[in-house]
Amino acid sequence: MNAQGIEIIVGEGTCGIAAGSKEVIDIFKEQAPGAKVRSVSCAGMCHMEVITEVRDATGKSFMYGKVNKKGVAKILDFHLKGGAFPEELQIVSPQAPEHENSQYLARQTRIALRNVGQLDPTSIEEYQSRDGYKAIEKILREGLSQDQVIAEVKTAGIRGRGGAGFPTAVKWGFAKAQDSETKYLVCNGDEGDPGAFMDRSLLEGDPHNVIEGMLIAAYAFGANKGYAYIRAEYPLAVKNFGLAIEKAKKAGYLGENILGSKMSFELKIKEGAGAFVCGEETALLASIEGERGMPRLRPPFPAVKGLFGKPTIINNVETLSNLAWIINQGGEAYAAYGTEDSKGTKVFALAGAVKRGGLVEVPMGTTLREVIYDIGGGSSTDRPIKAIQLGGPSGGVIPAEVFDTPIEYAAINATGAIMGSGGMIVMDSKTCMVDLAKFFMEFNHLESCGKCTLCRIGTLRIRELLSKISEGKGAMEDLDILENLSKQVMSGSLCALGGTAPNPVLTTLRYFRSEYEAHINEKRCPAAVCKALISHVVIQADCTGCTLCEKACPTDAITGQPKVAHSYEIDMNKCINCSMCVEVCKPDCILVE
Amino acid sequence: MANPSLEATVDPNLIAGFIAELGSDSSATVPLLQAIQTQYGYLPRTAMDLVVEQTEISGSQLYGVATFYAQFRLKPVGRHLIKVCHGTACHVTGADRINTSLHYQLNIQGEDEDTASNGSYTMVDVACIGCCSQAPLIVVDEEVHGNLNGAKAQKAVRMHARKAGEELPKAVKQSLKS
Repeated sequence: MNAQGIEIIVGEGTCGIAAGSKEVIDIFKEQAPGAKVRSVSCAGMCHMEVITEVRDATGKSFMYGKVNKKGVAKILDFHLKGGAFPEELQIVSPQAPEHENSQYLARQTRIALRNVGQLDPTSIEEYQSRDGYKAIEKILREGLSQDQVIAEVKTAGIRGRGGAGFPTAVKWGFAKAQDSETKYLVCNGDEGDPGAFMDRSLLEGDPHNVIEGMLIAAYAFGANKGYAYIRAEYPLAVKNFGLAIEKAKKAGYLGENILGSKMSFELKIKEGAGAFVCGEETALLASIEGERGMPRLRPPFPAVKGLFGKPTIINNVETLSNLAWIINQGGEAYAAYGTEDSKGTKVFALAGAVKRGGLVEVPMGTTLREVIYDIGGGSSTDRPIKAIQLGGPSGGVIPAEVFDTPIEYAAINATGAIMGSGGMIVMDSKTCMVDLAKFFMEFNHLESCGKCTLCRIGTLRIRELLSKISEGKGAMEDLDILENLSKQVMSGSLCALGGTAPNPVLTTLRYFRSEYEAHINEKRCPAAVCKALISHVVIQADCTGCTLCEKACPTDAITGQPKVAHSYEIDMNKCINCSMCVEVCKPDCILVE
Repeated sequence: MANPSLEATVDPNLIAGFIAELGSDSSATVPLLQAIQTQYGYLPRTAMDLVVEQTEISGSQLYGVATFYAQFRLKPVGRHLIKVCHGTACHVTGADRINTSLHYQLNIQGEDEDTASNGSYTMVDVACIGCCSQAPLIVVDEEVHGNLNGAKAQKAVRMHARKAGEELPKAVKQSLKS
């Protein structure tokens, strides 16, 4: 049947590609000749990838998720041949508007993320058609003063979304007060926090919005040169952002005398080279200057003496992505969301053992429970959620008992975690808190730049103590040493990396001390994760003799007679507790304890 | 060096070209190293020496920067690169098992080895790739594969090898117990 007049839009962010979007596009093109097939950026609904929107000839929009080869056939059958509606794939559609799957988006308030998944990031026209570049046009054509722009953003009350939460307008004020021919604006896209990916999604999916945000910030304090510092691990973000710079230049939004005004702004990409500490402002500047990314003593603050000695403002990608909306809709409209302490919305990267993972943007003041259960849909396993980890290696765990905490800077800090950049990893009873603390301390130790002794050596000593405990060799005194050492590392470090590095240890000790005690006193890992304290055993009664475990085992520890049930066993002397057999075992008959 | 054959032959004209394009002052350090690594897959000693000779960047600064950032490697690399994500979500969903399974598949032995003996694939651990909802995941050259376990990761590499015309080394069961 004829597919003319039908538009098929497939999400192609990095996660869409990871889930197989390229193949889906090829199948659509082959099976629906005549339909207009195009790709857009990732909508941040990672649990539903590959996502496909179909706009039929009457203009009705149907959004489907988890689309694979079979899904394509079902979708085309419905739209082209009058077949049954593939309800199991639907996210949002006129057929079942109240469907559970639609709740993920329906319960969000998307300001920073307003365009992701809606437009083709390589097209400046599509951004323009969604009020793109209207804010900077308004500022330049109506002749808003720098103070007016700063005042509007002050009314909005937005605080830096990179982690520290410093009021954006105040920061700009410092740099505006400086008298210098050259001032720099740096977009911090060095999203090094493992577990956070909102900046990737914004840079990949809505690069013009970030550029417009940079233009607004640059205008506010008088910057004429800019860098977008983007992680090299995000190749698609680098590519899309680079293309957006070229197109913005051609359209007259970048370069000399922007839109005929006196404003000039030159923008370049600097690719990061992989160092978590470069998320710290002064380390990032050192990195752009070609040095090792080591933090510098403040003051002087970058706003006074920053990049190449010039006044410099560093703003986070998510912060910048809110600015055009704030100028267009007004600061008050933004401040209407949120709480007294924290205004506006915040994007979280929800992942781990949660049913609906992806990017979630909610007004400040929303509780953690609403994000995890109402939007995220709760546990993705049959086990209960025991905690979340918020804020990555600088953050901490928050146990289920306090999930009613509202999302605002002060309330989150009171739990011992931090808002950070917004990475939220959901964990069920299969996550060991000692192992998690060890994971983060290993990360922090490796990423410590080595400048401050307590951070350089203290993080190593903490990691060693955690290894000792996870191997069942710890003593109860070790817990006191951990707490004491943590406090010393925090107070004896120059920058926020060391200043927050022990948070994962302190929060797990605070909320999950019993797990540490089980490792020490009972030589037992309650979550059955720590390799030195677990063993793998075949439950003979359930074994079918399928040989899969034997094939998967890298150490030849599993032996038995093929096709003979109940014949397999594991040689403890050879087993390295890697659990690869557990992954392949169909009857689920390998017990880990 | 396990694979002397993987050592790159450096073209001095190419390095001179990078310097002409990216500059020769201190702020060009990271971009120059990135350009060299993109070309050769690692930082050959001869290329680094040429940079020191022809720019204002000192040997200590160049080496300091090259060893500071996780992206740079000084050892030759296999014909294809497998990045194993070790972000938080990947860690809690079993990134370690992916390492074990691919080391086994590619017969990479020894603590410091990261390249298959036939030079086909090199494995590197990376911090977060930012696709946490598809964890755990790997990136083979440019291809991202998500929602893996040990067996699925092996399959992804096997499929890649077939397309790329690479032969995989024979997996040998070995004692890994320390």
